[in-house]
Amino acid sequence: MASTLPLWILVITAFALTAWRSRRYAVALANAPAAARFDRPMLRLQGVMVAIGMHRKMLRKPLSGVLHAIIFISFFVLLTATIDAFGSRLFPGFSLAPIGGETWIAALQDIFSVLMLVGVGLALYQRYVLRPARFDGSSGSDAAIIYVLIVLIVASLLLEAAARIVGGADGSWRPVASALAGLLDRAGMSAHAGEELFYWVHVGAILAFLVYIPGSKHRHMFLAAPNIYFRSLEPRGLAPAVPEAREAPGIDSLGQFDWKQQLDLLSCTECGRCQAVCPAHAAGLPLSPKLLITDLRDALAAGPSAAPLVGGVISEETLWACTTCRACMEACPVEIEHLPKIIDMRRHLVDEGRVSPGLQEALSNLTRLGNSMGKPSKMRARWTRELGFPVKDAREEPVDVLWFVGDYASYDPRVQEITRKVAELLTAAGVDFGILFDAERNSGNDVRRAGEEGLFETLAQSNIDEIKACSFNRIMTTDPHSLNALKNDYQHFGAAFEVLHYTALLAELIAAGKLDLHVADGARVTYHDPCYLGRYNGGFDAPRELIRAAGYTLHDMPRCRENSFCCGAGGGRIWQGDDGVTERPSENRIREALSLGDVAYFVVACPKDKVMYTAAIDALGVADRLKVVDIAELLVPRTSQALEMPTVETT
Amino acid sequence: MNILVILRMIPDSAGELQLAEDGRSIDREWLDFQLNDFDDHALEEAILLKEAGGAKVTAVAVGEGANRVLQMAAARGADEVVALQSEEDAMISSREIAASIAAMARAKSADLVLCGVQSSEDVFGQLAPYVGALLDWPHVSGTNRIVANGAVLRVTQERGAGVAVTYELATPAVLGVQTASKAPRYVSGSKLREASKTPIGRAMPESSGFERSAEIITLRLPVQGGSGENLGGNAETVADRLVTILAAKGLARN
Repeated sequence: MASTLPLWILVITAFALTAWRSRRYAVALANAPAAARFDRPMLRLQGVMVAIGMHRKMLRKPLSGVLHAIIFISFFVLLTATIDAFGSRLFPGFSLAPIGGETWIAALQDIFSVLMLVGVGLALYQRYVLRPARFDGSSGSDAAIIYVLIVLIVASLLLEAAARIVGGADGSWRPVASALAGLLDRAGMSAHAGEELFYWVHVGAILAFLVYIPGSKHRHMFLAAPNIYFRSLEPRGLAPAVPEAREAPGIDSLGQFDWKQQLDLLSCTECGRCQAVCPAHAAGLPLSPKLLITDLRDALAAGPSAAPLVGGVISEETLWACTTCRACMEACPVEIEHLPKIIDMRRHLVDEGRVSPGLQEALSNLTRLGNSMGKPSKMRARWTRELGFPVKDAREEPVDVLWFVGDYASYDPRVQEITRKVAELLTAAGVDFGILFDAERNSGNDVRRAGEEGLFETLAQSNIDEIKACSFNRIMTTDPHSLNALKNDYQHFGAAFEVLHYTALLAELIAAGKLDLHVADGARVTYHDPCYLGRYNGGFDAPRELIRAAGYTLHDMPRCRENSFCCGAGGGRIWQGDDGVTERPSENRIREALSLGDVAYFVVACPKDKVMYTAAIDALGVADRLKVVDIAELLVPRTSQALEMPTVETT
Repeated sequence: MNILVILRMIPDSAGELQLAEDGRSIDREWLDFQLNDFDDHALEEAILLKEAGGAKVTAVAVGEGANRVLQMAAARGADEVVALQSEEDAMISSREIAASIAAMARAKSADLVLCGVQSSEDVFGQLAPYVGALLDWPHVSGTNRIVANGAVLRVTQERGAGVAVTYELATPAVLGVQTASKAPRYVSGSKLREASKTPIGRAMPESSGFERSAEIITLRLPVQGGSGENLGGNAETVADRLVTILAAKGLARN
């Protein structure tokens, strides 16, 4: 056929251009440091199936999920048309007809062409009519060009088939093309000229799309699946270790990111789901997880430049804004890992001593005294003095449960009361427990996430040495942040402890009938899932069981469980100032709870939450409408006075 | 230029101070010790001078926890670190240690001795003047900026009401630092861990050579006045209570 040679030239040129446009990425990935992401292939494949096959995360936003699924399925169906279009002319004699190319495949192509247009129509409706805020900062022109190319490809496909039908081909399997054929016929176009015109428009648009992809978010067509396949399979709560090959703890150039971290950048679809859930972004701070990724990506695309990575491509304020709540990673449909990048860049800042005064003070206190408040270690167990009974020193005698109390629960006067409540509950249930007294140090969870790897190692090692010297069966923590460090991060030091949160232990005790509690009359309360208990460690159910056991009815906020909204304190944020914050995440959250209209208690299960939300309620002046209570305060043994429920005006 | 910087460990004021049995000192056994804040600034100033024009910085620490602070000094850029032995469980008296420091300054051929302007155990700020007098070197205290130009120092000293005086003096000299030209830097845990391998020198104290001129006969902890009243956290009840109190004291009409 006369068109074989021109088509070959066109195809080869297009592939060459595509390769040329991808060269920087290919070189960057080839030169990137290693990442161990080749283990457990079946598990990895399974994740890809769920993520892509089931559109699991995609469908959390129903409209986006459905329209993407339509476009996605249509793409695969129409791929047969693409194979046919190129195959038939590149390799004369090739045809899909023997397997139904002119019958059932033709019918599918016909129908899915229309579906593809419906999908694109929905996408247009979403992007230009609904205009969700998560698209702010995404490239509008990129999206528009893709829409135009898809419409061009699909329309030319239908019109080419229509022209063939005009020329006498059988249209019985192509209802839509047949209808269009009627229009073409009336327009008086010659069947052969029409077929040729639409054919070349069709292959031209496909090749243009191919050439366009390397510079577009549509790279995700090729990279989403590998990026999901190579996702991290480590526990969610394990911050990335500093690779031994790296000289300094942190990263200050793009090339130091391992290939998976770089692949992340190329896989971003700019969907903005991360931005929509980011507490720092909602607070008006200069961090959007999406822009973090696209800024890094653009820097990667631009190649080596004079601007520094940390403090240049990504500003220091952006890096410090992150609470490490992990909502972005939870939301990302293509499993991009935002946090390891932020932590690695923070590590560089910390190593250079570039920290805010507040953070410097906290870290210096932690270095000197093992707690961020600057309190002497001798005062760590001071809260036990007001208990009516002695607390065992786990360093002196064996205990069943070693209680790792944590800084806020030990030192903060607003939380000490709750710490004592927990001690009383454990005693009431007959638990044999002890604490480390002045030998306990901050767990280092947030120190590590603030980028202070060296100090984290010092704190962790000190705690591990103390814990290993004790005789115990399990560790219980008050603070979800300590829970995460002890359970996950300490694995880096070969420490494998059985660690559980106090809500899990209390739920266990209640289930075993060891705690006899006052039962409330079903009053409605809401519950805030702490990031490091829920999203990081899957502790969603125990707190809810406790609320139920205490006789309260849980009215969850719209953002609950995996979608919980961070209080704003994590990742070292609690040690930093509020500069640039337009709405504190904690206040945003309290407003959400108030909008439920029928809850008097805002139940928390993290010492920092008690502090953050009590302050937020004071700042909003709504102390008469909502009260922050720790879950331990809801649980009142029958031997004590029952909790008096404040009256609440139901709105 | 050889710089000798003095780092004194003082009781952590956040701790609970208790009197020793003799009633003339605080019980140091259960206290945490920390670097005197002004000495931290002196160290920073020494490192800044080193970074600006090159110098060899020797840090000398006195008191409990000296090793830890010396590792920190090494991580920040001190070239040599020395722990000066001192009497255990005793406050660091400037009179007592001045002779040892003067001797070290001579031994290390120091051109400049820096220390904090004062400490909680030397509120008169006597260390710099004592050392200056013993060495017969010029001395300025209360500095907030030191610039070295060869052997010539330009030293800015803070006076009240925002007035600043700049002196020019030749080394060798002794300076009592109020604040460094820049706030003390943060030194990361990984740098501290590296510096933990730094060998720490030991120095034995010299006899002070001073006759005792006065001695502490009694030490008193602040007494709880009992005149405070907690008005609680509820704005309305606080306001009511406040009005009642003011009225009772004849300061307002109810």
